[in-house]
Amino acid sequence: MSGEEEEMLLSSNGDEFLKAKCLMNCEVALILEHKYEQLQQMSDDPMNQVSQVFEKSLQYVKRFSRYKNPDAVRQVREILSRYQLAEFELCVLGNLCPETVEEAIAMVPSIKTKGRAHDDEAIEKMLNDLSLIKKFE
Amino acid sequence: MFLKVQLPWNVIIPAENLDAKGLMLQRSIVVRLLEDFASKKATKDLGYYLAVTTLENIGEGKVRQHTGDVLFPVVFSGITFKIFRGEILEGVVHKVLKHGVFMRCGPIEHIYLSYMKMPDYRYVPGENPVFLNDKMSKIEKDAVVRFIVIGTKWLEAEREFQALVSLEGDYLGPVS
Repeated sequence: MSGEEEEMLLSSNGDEFLKAKCLMNCEVALILEHKYEQLQQMSDDPMNQVSQVFEKSLQYVKRFSRYKNPDAVRQVREILSRYQLAEFELCVLGNLCPETVEEAIAMVPSIKTKGRAHDDEAIEKMLNDLSLIKKFE
Repeated sequence: MFLKVQLPWNVIIPAENLDAKGLMLQRSIVVRLLEDFASKKATKDLGYYLAVTTLENIGEGKVRQHTGDVLFPVVFSGITFKIFRGEILEGVVHKVLKHGVFMRCGPIEHIYLSYMKMPDYRYVPGENPVFLNDKMSKIEKDAVVRFIVIGTKWLEAEREFQALVSLEGDYLGPVS
């Protein structure tokens, strides 16, 4: 996506996007799994109690969570929070787990634009911190 | 993208359930809220309604004149899912046609990737049709693909979103 398209994204969805609190897939997985367990305790047929939307979302976040352990999930949020990222940027990085600085910039071009340019070194350190969590999960 | 939202909501408790006091009443309100929430499915502004996480506040009940029901204004936190133009996501292919593929992502079933937005991929017909590129990278049923959203559409009647996506960009395409 070009810098121009990214501008459009942030300006057309604008405030909504920048102010919205976002959740990473792995965070949502923990929440939805917990809800599902609660339902299992209360009923014989939990699948009957949840909407299609819930079911499909639960399947999706379980499959697309890079981190499973609740402590690891917390650490990911904590580490990414140190880098002055918008909520949306933080979640895209936490979801896609880019391996290189180049890939990170391709996934979230805004980390290099809008006068908040994070230098490559900072981005590299962030990615290294994230991969350490993965190793020790 | 999954969003954490805080919403005001009006929960209506029928007159019959109002004998209960204290905790029982609170429980009725919560149950009702969860039912209403689950049946909502989605809205254009917030996307698909997934789950209620916390009940922040229950206001004072107001009696509705003609029915005798009581309306309780509540504020709660919840999770929704919405798809945005420019966002990069991963989805799963569920149908391969010669002009493109359909994918699902979260609660969204109709995500369309046109052959025109798959640079260098060509359609290979067969019992298990696929899109193939020069580097033998395959886009087939059940494959995971990373894409960028180029357009979204809200369908009021069905209360669902559809999206148009593309692989034009670095690091996009099938993910192993």
